[in-house]
Amino acid sequence: MKGESLIQEKTCQVVVIGGGPAGLTAAYELAKRQVPAVVLEKSHTVGGLSRTEYYKGYRFDMGGHRFYTKSHEVKKLWDEVLGKEFLVRPRLSRIYYNNRFFYYPLKPFNVLVNLGLLESLRIMLSYLRWQLFPYRREETFEQWVTNRFGRRLFEMFFKTYTEKVWGIRCSELKAEWAAQRIKDLSLKTALLHMLMKPKRTIKTLIEEFHYPRLGPGMMWTAFKEEIEQRGGVVQLNADVVRINRDGNSISSVLYSHNGVTEEIRGDHFISSMPVTEFIKKLDPPAPIALQAAHKLHYRDFLTVCLIVNQADLFPDNWIYIHDSSVRVGRIQNFKNWSPDMVPDPSKTSLGLEYFCTEGDELWNTPDADLIELARREAVRVGLARFDDIEDGCVFRVPKAYPIYDADYREHLTCVRSFVGSLTNFASIGRNGLHRYNNQDHAMLTGLLAVGNLIKGQHHDLWAVNADQEYQEEIREEEKVLPKDDVAVVQEALSHVFVKVDRLALGVSIGTITGFILCLMTAILVVKGGPDIGPNLRLVAQFFPGYSVTLQGSFLGLAYGFTAGFSLGWTVAFLRNASVLLTLHLLRRGAASYVLRRTLDYL
Amino acid sequence: MPAQENSVEKIVLTRLMRLNARIYGVVTGLVAGLTLFIATNWLVLQGGPVVGPHLGLLNQFFIGYRVTFAGSFVGLAYGLVTGFIVGYSVARIYNWLVELRDKRHTARRG
Repeated sequence: MKGESLIQEKTCQVVVIGGGPAGLTAAYELAKRQVPAVVLEKSHTVGGLSRTEYYKGYRFDMGGHRFYTKSHEVKKLWDEVLGKEFLVRPRLSRIYYNNRFFYYPLKPFNVLVNLGLLESLRIMLSYLRWQLFPYRREETFEQWVTNRFGRRLFEMFFKTYTEKVWGIRCSELKAEWAAQRIKDLSLKTALLHMLMKPKRTIKTLIEEFHYPRLGPGMMWTAFKEEIEQRGGVVQLNADVVRINRDGNSISSVLYSHNGVTEEIRGDHFISSMPVTEFIKKLDPPAPIALQAAHKLHYRDFLTVCLIVNQADLFPDNWIYIHDSSVRVGRIQNFKNWSPDMVPDPSKTSLGLEYFCTEGDELWNTPDADLIELARREAVRVGLARFDDIEDGCVFRVPKAYPIYDADYREHLTCVRSFVGSLTNFASIGRNGLHRYNNQDHAMLTGLLAVGNLIKGQHHDLWAVNADQEYQEEIREEEKVLPKDDVAVVQEALSHVFVKVDRLALGVSIGTITGFILCLMTAILVVKGGPDIGPNLRLVAQFFPGYSVTLQGSFLGLAYGFTAGFSLGWTVAFLRNASVLLTLHLLRRGAASYVLRRTLDYL
Repeated sequence: MPAQENSVEKIVLTRLMRLNARIYGVVTGLVAGLTLFIATNWLVLQGGPVVGPHLGLLNQFFIGYRVTFAGSFVGLAYGLVTGFIVGYSVARIYNWLVELRDKRHTARRG
């Protein structure tokens, strides 16, 4: 091949592209089953988006990764691989807005105290104004949120941070994006939550989380060692340059390693590299999928790490910066994640995270300028003194978040369709599936891919985390219903909550009541006797003119109908009103839940 | 709004409830029968020179019914049957009217 010095050819059973949580999990599972795999990792270290960087003895977690999962398999793996090095850490995170710190998740009293009565009143008035006079058409994220929470809350807790993270103005983000992201606000979810309300919350990540003593990288390094001990290979600095395709199967992968291009052949291929990159590197190319891949986008970020000559700066693990006067989006205090992240207990290491897009002005800013910017902003936010910041470094994280823009589904479906047609290939992980998965979900896709490969199972990897919202609570006896059951429950709930027809219920009860009174009267009249129906006659005290006679039976019919109708109509009215009230309260509860955990959805 | 969510909103806010006539009949029958059964036995247990003179008037409609322990079973049976008929009839009439109104509504919408 022109321009390439192909010096080595290898063959192995399974080739795993990507040494992040998903790829390493897959390789580890394969190794456990005596199927050694070769892992090709582009970076100098394992961990992918969840890696831990190292600088002068300080460790920096790229993004801050709490270890939390609902998957027993994943939790078992974490414990199995890391054992006692897996710490339980206290959690504190706050939002910085308007020179004040708000607890996150938001606590109503704390918000009230921080904002003051006047501002709180303004929020209430703004909420009422938008409830009474909402945007008629919800086309943008801004309109969608404003209609539900009012403009002031939107500006405080949604606008700035959303724009920082995604780099798009809220007035340009589609409303569908909000509806898709903030599913907990939907009636369907609220109803399902009500039905499947767990018995009690036993522990919550609001208070604590698991974390490897030396950061997430410790976990991934342990995975790497385990894989290698079992005969697998984890090749670092191995940049995949081409993926050879033979019809509907992958035949080999070409990668550059220390300036040398090598080719590795395999029977099966698993990849956690961005699915767009995978498509772009295919040879021969897949034109339709390639066209779609070009339209899938990512958001990136860079972390400016600062070393501060102070033992304790602030108690938080991380702080969200909602203030628009600074560009930083989030500040990590790594020492609060684990004290062993710093080599010297008298110092503190911070990570100032700037969300950007690869190639933009911020991404291309020289490191020295970024460190200077971060120093100024750390001082501006009031978290450190300028002179205490003694050193710094910059780490860039490309393709950190897959972007769910208006058309991504359509393009992803096309890409997915092509990937699905490959017989010996599986795409896994956050970027392999272009899904905003956490690391536990990424690992789960690795596990399932191996299940498909070894056991011939048929797991749909693209469905992992598709309908699950991120919830920071571990609940006792929590049940996650299968998709089909959810549909059944939804259908049943819909019938429970539909309106009762007031007129129809009034008429039906009225008819039967009238008929019964008429019949009773007629029976007594037919039976006859010296004193006909002395007791039934007492009904006349409420129904003037009624008597136990033939004419009276018709009057009884009319009276019975009227009384029954009134009863039926009232029952239906009260029942409908109470259902509407219940739905309203459900919606308010959901809104409050979403508002307190705003950032989990953005 | 996603289609699935839209359908829930639509169902809850626009559709009208249908009643299951059999279930309504059984429930009403059980309530009526058990009420009469308990009321009769309550009066029997209270005792006195004349037991349940007013409840006893029901025998004008329910032939064979008496305010006695044995009568409570007759009352239970009558209550079950009458209650079932009432509940079943109410539900059937209600459903018929709802269907009628739904058809009209659909016809008006074209």
